[in-house]
Amino acid sequence: MTLNLRIWRQKDSHAEGAIESYELPGVSSDMSFLEMLDILNEQLIGKGEEPVSFDHDCREGVCGSCGAMVNGQVHGPDTETTLCQLHMRRFKDGDTLQVEPWRSAAFPVLKDLVVDRSSFDRIQQAGGYVSVATGSPPDANSVPIPKDDAEAAFDYAECIGCGGCVAACPNGAAMLFTAAKVAHLKKLPQGQPERERRVLSMVDTMDKEGFGACTNHYECTAACPKGVPIDAIATMNREYLRATFFSKEGV
Amino acid sequence: MLSWIERFVSSSVGRKALMALTGLMLIGFLIAHLAGNLSLFAGDGGTAFDAYAHAISSLPILPIAEVALALLFLGHIYLAVKTTRENRRARPQGYSVTGTHGEKSFASKTMFPTGVVILAFLIKHLWDFRLQKEAFEEAPYASVQQALSDPLTASVYMLGILALGIHLSHAFGSALQSLGANHPKYTPALRAIGKVLAVALTLGFISIPIYFWLGGSSS
Amino acid sequence: MSSQFKLDSACPSGPIESRWDNHRFEMKQVNPANKRKFKILVVGTGLAGGSAAATLAELGYNVTSLCIQDSPRRAHSIAAQGGINAAKNYPNDGDSIYRLFYDTVKGGDFRARESNVYRLAQVSNNIIDQANAQGVPFAREYGGHLANRSFGGAQVSRTFYARGATGQQLLLGAYSAMNRQIHAGKIDMRTRREMLDLVTIDGVARGVICRNLITGELERYAADAVLLCTGGYGNVFYLSTNAKASNVTASWRAHKRGALFANPCFTQIHPTCIPVSGDHQSKLTLMSESLRNDGRIWTPKERDDGRPGDQVPEDERDYYLERRYPAFGNLVPRDVASRAAKERCDSGYGVGNSKQAVYLDFKDAIARDGEDAVRAKYGNLFHMYEKITDENPYQRPMRIFPAVHYTMGGLWVDYNLQSTIPGLFVLGEANFSDHGANRLGASALMQGLSDGYFVIPATVCGHLAGANLQPVTTSHEAFAAVEHEVREKTDKLLSIGGSRSVDSFHRELGLTMWDKCGMARSESGLREAVDKIRGIRESFWGDVRVLGESENLNQSLEKAGRVADFLEFAETFAVDALHRSESCGGHFREESQTEEGEALRDDENFCYAAAWEFQGVGNDSTLHKEDLSFDYVKLAQRSYK
Repeated sequence: MTLNLRIWRQKDSHAEGAIESYELPGVSSDMSFLEMLDILNEQLIGKGEEPVSFDHDCREGVCGSCGAMVNGQVHGPDTETTLCQLHMRRFKDGDTLQVEPWRSAAFPVLKDLVVDRSSFDRIQQAGGYVSVATGSPPDANSVPIPKDDAEAAFDYAECIGCGGCVAACPNGAAMLFTAAKVAHLKKLPQGQPERERRVLSMVDTMDKEGFGACTNHYECTAACPKGVPIDAIATMNREYLRATFFSKEGV
Repeated sequence: MLSWIERFVSSSVGRKALMALTGLMLIGFLIAHLAGNLSLFAGDGGTAFDAYAHAISSLPILPIAEVALALLFLGHIYLAVKTTRENRRARPQGYSVTGTHGEKSFASKTMFPTGVVILAFLIKHLWDFRLQKEAFEEAPYASVQQALSDPLTASVYMLGILALGIHLSHAFGSALQSLGANHPKYTPALRAIGKVLAVALTLGFISIPIYFWLGGSSS
Repeated sequence: MSSQFKLDSACPSGPIESRWDNHRFEMKQVNPANKRKFKILVVGTGLAGGSAAATLAELGYNVTSLCIQDSPRRAHSIAAQGGINAAKNYPNDGDSIYRLFYDTVKGGDFRARESNVYRLAQVSNNIIDQANAQGVPFAREYGGHLANRSFGGAQVSRTFYARGATGQQLLLGAYSAMNRQIHAGKIDMRTRREMLDLVTIDGVARGVICRNLITGELERYAADAVLLCTGGYGNVFYLSTNAKASNVTASWRAHKRGALFANPCFTQIHPTCIPVSGDHQSKLTLMSESLRNDGRIWTPKERDDGRPGDQVPEDERDYYLERRYPAFGNLVPRDVASRAAKERCDSGYGVGNSKQAVYLDFKDAIARDGEDAVRAKYGNLFHMYEKITDENPYQRPMRIFPAVHYTMGGLWVDYNLQSTIPGLFVLGEANFSDHGANRLGASALMQGLSDGYFVIPATVCGHLAGANLQPVTTSHEAFAAVEHEVREKTDKLLSIGGSRSVDSFHRELGLTMWDKCGMARSESGLREAVDKIRGIRESFWGDVRVLGESENLNQSLEKAGRVADFLEFAETFAVDALHRSESCGGHFREESQTEEGEALRDDENFCYAAAWEFQGVGNDSTLHKEDLSFDYVKLAQRSYK
């Protein structure tokens, strides 16, 4: 099939960007979206034009590197799918695809479709961990954890940090991302000792990084390639209230 | 040191919790308000409504309640403006094409605009029945009848109430989520109740201008 | 050639159970107050690098951590699916440290060091405890205790898992431990940095030169010890299950600076991958070996049977693994399963359009346990398969084919994980140490974390306390000299201005490697490979087209540097495969097989690790042998029948 691509091109973080149009013939329905970009890039190199930069690595939906808006949809039209897992059989000959980077004040564009998501790392550094030194823990079976809790914790922990939730949110909020970690550790006994510090510190950092506030559109969870459940956000809100009003934190 | 309070009210999560709380209280007010207003339909030429209005206006705590209510509104509005501004700042450059995976709704996307419409309507409503207090207190039912039998005023009221309905259809579930009130057993039911409540309040309120527009009991 | 290297494995002696304890006791220590005077550079943030950086920082060292991705959380360990082994014996099925040790040595086809493997088995249990304490959501039984499943090459259930994303969860555990240290200021984390060379001073590793992938600037980092945790080189085949950025550059440039490269030809071909669908294919997707717990592998009994898999009657199916290996059945080790699939396809029994696939069928499991039970166990893998192939695996058997997955070879290290360059330590997949010629499933995660959490924190201080290191800064002339070389290479790549893209060379190299150095290798094929690789390398340097500039994010330039190194490395790979005329583990030489077509090892001549010394591009490398002795697990031809 032949596609009409309209792709955001931007030389670097200081430059002005713009949408450029490309016609791409010879797209096979078995290709992944990124493989389609690969052949576009081969075509561009052949013509002596600089190829489109995009973050990607594992190409199997778990590293969280890739991601772009395709016709205004995070990671394209499919649900629970990363851009690398999106296949071109989803489109048809003659389709126009508008491809843009994530847009967020906290994700500055570095080049073309590549954005800087280090704000996500800083949120995790603010408290997304259990303080346990190597070598000190007790036997793994010493504290039984109900199977359902472990499964629920996994559902939150599965977040790949792609940034799609922020991109999808009309407010550019990072609530689902932040809440996924808070809810994951809240579900487990290991996370209890630091739960108040964790939620206060992570939310503080999230706000400082310039993300928006949640107004409960729930678009994040719909766009999330791992389907991180929306109740994570309720959990984080509750944890935040609990830490604010019922703990000694901040006295 | 009240640093923890400051931290709370300046955080996005804290602000949203306060917005939810003020919103839920305002919903409580709306329920009470509608319950009282339903006496307009008593079919007794306004006797019941007049009695209700007089009872309210002679309550000794009314001034305090009014101030509290005003503060609720103002707080809710302030938080909405601040949140909306910060959310705009969080995405300085938008998308050239916008799409969805199906969750964001008309109501969720228009909370601020519907809020503005509701505010405008509220000002009009206060002007009609609160700022011209003497006229209203003299003959409550008649002044309602007079105001709403004017097609323009009735239309403005209907518009305002529709905006309120849209606002409310997102509000209740959203408020519970913002307050972290979530449980797999109850959340689906509570969200449904929120929708029912929005519809009920809308129908309840909107029936009033329709009723008087169509002539009310005097015809 | 006579060598300046004496390959001293530094293995402790004595009973194998107490070697690690004794070794730790005998090692020189650095007192806690002095630890903060040392700077350690950790390159890579996968399971090995992440766990090492976090643990060393906890101990008080100043750690600088570099990663190529935009976040340390994205290292390729994240893609590991199935699980991690440990000798906990929670299921009470007869497991023990000794059995894990035994299975790993045997599974590696007797080409690993016994002392290392025993240590790995010993610390395996601590890894589970550590990860659990970090909040890794391992699968559990209803009673709340940890669940286990079976993996290939073992007859006990010792694999711990977190659905189909065990690597992700363990990596996020290590990442969280790193985050804690970054927050505490003990780790200086630098993302989007690619190590492009090693700096040695007086023969000791003292730093690296990196390219900042955003600004293109070359940066110098000085340290008292350098840890390479940069993963494997499977992408020398172009198509592999490795992430696109996985590369050999850090290892290769260290090799060119004097670190020996051991057993480069030992490559693991994983049997359960999704087959290639066309020329556009950019990478291959693996599906966890855990599928072989319940899935049955077969081909039709008739050649070129064109019917869809679900329409082939039961009695016309050949469950060839169960037929050939009744004791292990579908759970034979990876190398055995992969070769058997290749044999079926080569003999004309392959299925699908390409005929380069066999079936993996859950029909019986679904009939036995119900679709829901199968979905609960493998749902995410089935989902992934359906996404890629557009076929429903609940209704039709999946098509699978082997693909390059893991590389057992790597930089040679001693028992302390130190390479032949003092001060340069190599961890995880980047070293050659623990898996011999074939790695058992669920052992990569174990090794990466063992190296990072438990081994290196104990062994690095031996070097720091003993080497009498002089303070070094990045203004030392050695840094300037190496940086200059790196810059020249970068400039050269940008200046060639040829006609072909980097990817086209990489694909060409990959085809040659898969053809000649893949699942079956022969002397004539390998000789041909060496010639071809040289040819591709030559045309690369004459005709590659790299656009853009060096002072900006330039993904073509990044790729070009990596492919240039693959093109040098591939030759060493082929030469190693050529010299080892025995079959062992993942290395199958057609000349060396039993009458039944099983791999035939030659312990008389090849019971050693082959460590190659660089002698210049295009020159023959020098072979150094580390003889392996097997005092506990007796040398025997592997049998899974």
